[in-house]
Amino acid sequence: MRKRSFWLALAALAAVVTMTAGGATAGSPQGALKPAAAGGTVILGADQEPKILNPFLTDGNLYWLSVIVGQVFEGSYELNNDGDYVKEMITDAAVTSNPFTVTYKLKPGLKWSDGTAITSKDYVSTLTTIMNKNWDITSRAGYEEIQRVQTPNALTARVVFKKPFAAWKDLFGALIPAHKVKGQNFNNTWANSIDISSGPFKFERWQKGSQLVLSKNTNYKSGQQAKINQVVFRFIPDTNTQFQAMRGGEVDMIAPQPQLQIADIKKQAGIKVQSGPEFAWEHLDIQLGNKGHLALRQPYVRQALVTGINRGQIAEALYKEIAPGLPVLRNAIFKPFEKSKYQAHAWQPFGFSQKKAISLLRAKGCTGGPATPSSKNTDIYSCPGVGKLSFRFFSTAGNQLRSLAFQIMQKQLKSVGIELVNRFRTGVFSVLPTGDWDLFLFTWIGSPDPSGSVEIHKCKGDQNYNAYCNNKVTKLLDASQNEVDPTKRVALMNEADKLMAKDLPTLPLFARPGFLISKSSVGNVLKNPTSEGPTWNSELWTVAK
Amino acid sequence: MLTYVIRRVLYSIPVLFAASFLIFSFVALASDPLQFLRMQPRVDQTTIQKIIVREHLEEPIPVRYVYWIKEATTNKFGSTLIGDRPIWPDLSRVMKNTAQLVIAAELLAILLAVFIGVYSAVRQYSAFDYSFTTFSFLGLATPVFWLALMLQVLVVNIFLNYDIRIFYVSNLSSTDPDNFLLDRIQHLALPVIVIAVASVAQYSRYMRAAMLEVINSDYVRTARAKGLNERTVVMKHAFRNALIPLATVVALNLGGVLGGAVVTETVFSLDGMGLYFIRNLVEGDPYPVMAWLMITSVMIVFFNLVADIVYGYLDPRVRYD
Repeated sequence: MRKRSFWLALAALAAVVTMTAGGATAGSPQGALKPAAAGGTVILGADQEPKILNPFLTDGNLYWLSVIVGQVFEGSYELNNDGDYVKEMITDAAVTSNPFTVTYKLKPGLKWSDGTAITSKDYVSTLTTIMNKNWDITSRAGYEEIQRVQTPNALTARVVFKKPFAAWKDLFGALIPAHKVKGQNFNNTWANSIDISSGPFKFERWQKGSQLVLSKNTNYKSGQQAKINQVVFRFIPDTNTQFQAMRGGEVDMIAPQPQLQIADIKKQAGIKVQSGPEFAWEHLDIQLGNKGHLALRQPYVRQALVTGINRGQIAEALYKEIAPGLPVLRNAIFKPFEKSKYQAHAWQPFGFSQKKAISLLRAKGCTGGPATPSSKNTDIYSCPGVGKLSFRFFSTAGNQLRSLAFQIMQKQLKSVGIELVNRFRTGVFSVLPTGDWDLFLFTWIGSPDPSGSVEIHKCKGDQNYNAYCNNKVTKLLDASQNEVDPTKRVALMNEADKLMAKDLPTLPLFARPGFLISKSSVGNVLKNPTSEGPTWNSELWTVAK
Repeated sequence: MLTYVIRRVLYSIPVLFAASFLIFSFVALASDPLQFLRMQPRVDQTTIQKIIVREHLEEPIPVRYVYWIKEATTNKFGSTLIGDRPIWPDLSRVMKNTAQLVIAAELLAILLAVFIGVYSAVRQYSAFDYSFTTFSFLGLATPVFWLALMLQVLVVNIFLNYDIRIFYVSNLSSTDPDNFLLDRIQHLALPVIVIAVASVAQYSRYMRAAMLEVINSDYVRTARAKGLNERTVVMKHAFRNALIPLATVVALNLGGVLGGAVVTETVFSLDGMGLYFIRNLVEGDPYPVMAWLMITSVMIVFFNLVADIVYGYLDPRVRYD
């Protein structure tokens, strides 16, 4: 009996294994997936899962949530793949002065997914909801400058500002439906689902920890109706797994951070890789506050530091396989591809010169370091009154490209007698606002509107983590916020950038390239360099059968 | 036995309190739940201040700990500091997912380890014994993340070269599976294999060592001398006693692994306890981390107790007062 039950158990195990192996399916790369219904489904691999679905609240402040709900909630303008503002739900936005006023004209016939008309009252509800201090709104920037919104008719919203506001196109990017939020606790609205849509897609379901599904909104009238039936976001936080899932056909599209694996996946048949610079710039911040190294408050030390770093070599080493020819950044506010705005300033006044770096230090009485640059050097300079030039270098652990950048900089600077000490760690951004660091390598993510740079560089700005303060720069940046003439605004900001280049509070490295990897069978996929993300034109996507 | 169980549970309570206070303090000191929010351009400072006051973020750590105790005991571990999202629904979901993974992996590991351990001991120094000894050491030495990645690459390469999908490399299920059970097995297979490999290696060594000790003992020699066949001697007389150390190890291991196989879940992007813990730790929100800790601690204490009880059941000489 025991012998028989042993063999029965073994047979059962074999059956399970066979069933599992036999479940292997041949045929289409979709494997066990259901054949696409008419229109098809596109599956995106997302490396972050939202915590809630309300993009206005603090907990909804996540890039991938903005990518998801960007197709659910529309507004006045969107950013296209050239980084230009394009009218979305409006036919016109007329700007007048005295007082500064923007008059929006909505397209006629627009409806929410429940059939309710989209009207100018939705502009009012957007403003009042955002300005309501009871709700945990992430940012009220710009909306605080609005005095009132008038609604002379259902299709016209007249927004009157307290003073001229340059970044007005960034406002009302997603309208909040008046009929849905009236009397509701907005802090609890759209936590786990969204019951309304004004975009080409609407929310269908969210399997937490796994995927979120959007389906076509048949009431969408603002533009072309979606050609596909569904967009699915599968949450895959691990980058290596994202690539394997892309290779194996488990997802149709990924938008990874720059990775060396991109060079390999480019070679795979049936996969298209788009790359290009984004409104994100990699830079090395220098701490000028009390918790940083005393030496970094000396201009000559900062000059020696930046003169000893070969940015071109770093860009070449990191990106020659995946984004060859990446130019070095010479402006902390604008990017090279913003041709009408970008001005190259002298962020590295002496270029890259290890000899010059050493002479700058020795001229100020620094000792203990090499007289000439040497790759074998182990001596570190000490400078009068500020001590040894050994700096704590912070950045994100587990990022191959950042590790490589650090290793290159460390070697370059060691040759001239400056030491960089590795302080890479997970969760490193908790250190950034404390100011308790010397050098910090990270990426700022911005937008075509440069107003985000103001808080980074002005005295006591909200994102001024390196305690940089130049009153002239602050005055120029503040003035740019209220300058509505685009040309004059750009001039003010470039003037500020020129002054910052002399102070060297940071060293811009390069505009980080972005990548969009998709199956060739998904048509009309176009990379967008802004925070609109890969789904910006998802209503145009097609899926080849 | 009941007295023993009650006494063990009571001893655990101060241990849990001490562990929870220490972990809460470390997490609260080491991280800032508002860090990512503060980094956003043009973030509203009023909102940040409101959260700081509402969640007592500027109070001393012991005071914040008391607030957490109150939330945890009256409100199913309370809500997250940012966003005020209830913790229990997410935690219960990830517990179920990890349970599926871990139980499947441990069952597989136990079945294989028992077979390998018993056979290796009975056929000591045979080719089978040497092979599986080598395999065990390899299994113990292989980093989990490396094995996970290699299996992913292997499975994907098979798919690309032969157009056959055996297993999936990420998540727990497909978007619209035809057969939910089969789809789930195909998604869980690789992570189960990864966890099972290390467990099989460990358990089979214990089983082999215990079997060798038992089958060379006097009473087993007596059973052979009585004329019993080898299968009866091994399975009826030796096996049960050799199970004792393995049962103890498995019970203790299970308690820890149910806290989440962090590396495996991260690599395969499985929505489990390990990924839940890492995500909330990086975000610096102590409340979900504490909830995870309490669940894991209770499981460890529980399975320690189970180990003792099983030990007492398998070995009638052991009695608890």
